[in-house]
Amino acid sequence: MIDLLNKRVRLMATSAALALLLAGTPQAFAATPADTLVQGWAFDDIITLDPAEAFEISTAEVTANTYNKLVALDLNDTSKVVGELADSWTVSDDGLTYTFKLKSGLTFASGNPVTAEDVAFSFERAVKLDKSPAFLLTQFGLNGDNVTEKAKASDESTFVLTVDKPYAPSFVLNVLTSTVASVVDKKVVMENAKSVTPSDDYKYDSDFGNEFLKTGYAGSGPFKLREWRANEVIVLERNDSYFGEKPPLARVIYRHMKESAGQRLALENGDIDVARNLEPGDIQAISDKEGLDTTSAPKGTIYYFSLNQKNENLAKPEVIEAFKYLVDYDAIGETLIKGIGTIHQTFLPAGQLGALDEKPYSLNVEKAKELLAKAGLADGLTVTMDVRNTQPVTGIAENVQQTLAQAGIKLEIIPGDGKQTLTKYRARQHDIYIGQWGSDYFDPNSNAETFTFNPDNSDEGTNKTLAWRNAWDPAELSEKTQAALLEKDSAKRAAIYEELQKEVLARGPFVIVFQQTEVAGYSDKLKNYKLGPSFDTNFLYAVSKE
Amino acid sequence: MSIVETSPRPYSREWLLSERPASRRQARLGRAYVIWRRFSENRLALLGLMIIIGLLVVAAFADVLAPHNPLQGDLRNARLLPPGADGYLLGSDDQGRDILSRLIHGTRLTLLVVVLVATIAAPVGLIVGTVSGYAGGWIDAVLMRITDIFLAFPKLVLALALVAALGPGIENAILAIAVTSWPPYARIARAETMTFRHSEFISAVRLMGASPFRIVLRHVMPLCLSSLIVRVTLDMAGIILTAAGLGFLGLGAQPPLPEWGAMIASGRRFILDQWWVAAMPGIAILIVSLGFNLLGDGLRDALDPKEAGQ
Repeated sequence: MIDLLNKRVRLMATSAALALLLAGTPQAFAATPADTLVQGWAFDDIITLDPAEAFEISTAEVTANTYNKLVALDLNDTSKVVGELADSWTVSDDGLTYTFKLKSGLTFASGNPVTAEDVAFSFERAVKLDKSPAFLLTQFGLNGDNVTEKAKASDESTFVLTVDKPYAPSFVLNVLTSTVASVVDKKVVMENAKSVTPSDDYKYDSDFGNEFLKTGYAGSGPFKLREWRANEVIVLERNDSYFGEKPPLARVIYRHMKESAGQRLALENGDIDVARNLEPGDIQAISDKEGLDTTSAPKGTIYYFSLNQKNENLAKPEVIEAFKYLVDYDAIGETLIKGIGTIHQTFLPAGQLGALDEKPYSLNVEKAKELLAKAGLADGLTVTMDVRNTQPVTGIAENVQQTLAQAGIKLEIIPGDGKQTLTKYRARQHDIYIGQWGSDYFDPNSNAETFTFNPDNSDEGTNKTLAWRNAWDPAELSEKTQAALLEKDSAKRAAIYEELQKEVLARGPFVIVFQQTEVAGYSDKLKNYKLGPSFDTNFLYAVSKE
Repeated sequence: MSIVETSPRPYSREWLLSERPASRRQARLGRAYVIWRRFSENRLALLGLMIIIGLLVVAAFADVLAPHNPLQGDLRNARLLPPGADGYLLGSDDQGRDILSRLIHGTRLTLLVVVLVATIAAPVGLIVGTVSGYAGGWIDAVLMRITDIFLAFPKLVLALALVAALGPGIENAILAIAVTSWPPYARIARAETMTFRHSEFISAVRLMGASPFRIVLRHVMPLCLSSLIVRVTLDMAGIILTAAGLGFLGLGAQPPLPEWGAMIASGRRFILDQWWVAAMPGIAILIVSLGFNLLGDGLRDALDPKEAGQ
């Protein structure tokens, strides 16, 4: 045993020494060229760069900078959308038909004009390929058989989309801002499409360029994709035939760097201009350093823990309320998530339509004890919490464990990797689960649906929302959630979401702790470096370098 | 000259070292005294003993000695304080808990692991080894092949597999370490048993009608004990390191328990800027492992049958 450990120790010491050596050696890059932006970023989640298939956080940023959509989030007021390729749009009175007029003079990077035909083709291929993000479009009633009818070009510059229900226009438009609705160059894609043999699973004879677009490019964005090598580098180049204002940068290079400490050292050495995956300690160190700066933006991801209503004790309303009083929100905000999150207690992240910024709860052990006594649990109780082995959730779980103990609640932490804890959570076998929820698209429905929609609370229920996973029956809230989806008036729609949030805040079995903030450290040679409100709005077209 | 005058005062040095002990008790005490003398000649062994006694004392009086609550921290005001900051002699960790208090309470967990593993693994190894060595034949073959199978796995890997199967937790970690550490003891006990299995005193006992059970229990096992004790003591450092390794990998003691390995694991994230969070429990593990090693070394010299003239 001693020998064995010695060997491990030796190995660890050697690798540590090597790591130090690597980190300490100035890299071949030295100072980055003035027309090139170099970012250190962990993008190991990228599987493909085809907008019809991509559903990963890192990919969203790359496609956002290289492709265009019909509409985009208004960066100044994210509860609104603005036209990107579309000049204007109208919604028919019955709420089923959306007519988009394209701007004039649009061209792809290939030089081909952007026409309504390309838009229709992009929708068609996304629906027919039926990859992970396809549900965003198919939820409007599109499918492989009807997509050419329901999403079609009525003339050169007019695109018509027909949906199956009179959804709130804000909902439909918000969904159309997501990556899957990116417009691809039909000519380029079909030239590179491969023919496939139709099968039961896939009944078309072409792959619609899916394989080509995995690493290829057929877009119209301010940058064009030159190269992606998995876990190594992504290279973007200025698109000289971009129809909008040309970006000042000629090139953007993303270097794959996984560790926060490595990014920090590279940034300090000037090997990279931007460090994207920093931990709180390193953020502090960078913001204290001259010549470096940090920027941050709240993202649509919220961290929460939830109480399984199958557990008798946790199902008592007083107990649910007591848990909400047993989190030291302020201290967690000042320490564990400092710089990477802000305390947030409602289920809609700030920035989304109808998001409520109310924080009625704070640590109050006395009040929690009273509530527990009222529930007949004055002597406390013992529950388990499934915790994924990553920060910041483990830190928060340990802190909650301490505050719960003050009220006599004994919390046993069950650690596991993401897959283990999620599998248990999805099977409704947990007591308490701590984790995060990121909006699938920038519309309140994404979160509202998951927190307040659960029409069938049995184990066989098919809508496996977070409410279902925690066996919570939100009763009439399910209907309200659906009603909000069909409410055409944005203000009224927002009011419904506010009401839903108040209900969950008061009695939902979700203790929402904070909203994630994305942070980047950057060299102050950069001008206009900003992070957007969502993962697909970290735009680079405005960035310049001295 | 009366007999009373020649016989030394009981419990005196002469009485203990007497060549002709008058009673069994005197003989035993005399032998213990000889061992102690040989042990205490070794300064390093004494240091090891002192460390272990210190560990026992700290564990016994942890509640009195710890200046802070080891489980409740002050997240807001006392997070990641450097050593020496007011009231926090060894600094505080990322949950605002006093590292010294956690180390002090952690001694209990360390002792628990060491003692339980030793009391589970050593008797199992001893029984398997002595039975195997004394019985011989097919019993020996079966028992030793089982031992071989256990020895064929790297210890830590086997322990990891067991904990992964049983679920993380300190009890399961102890069980896993115990299951993986008995085979060497069985080997030692068997080898010892083989050397005096055919010796005359065993034959004499057998002629007197003692059952094999009695022979193994009363005559074989005691003779195997000294080498076993040495081996177990030397292994204790390894046990502590394995427990810390499991804790470090998140498979041993679970939060909020102040297990030293787990403390290092949680301090790893701060190693660039707040070195003490990981370093302090590391030093504690180093000292205690060293203590057990020095003690084991001293015991081996003191108990060595050859030098003891058995």
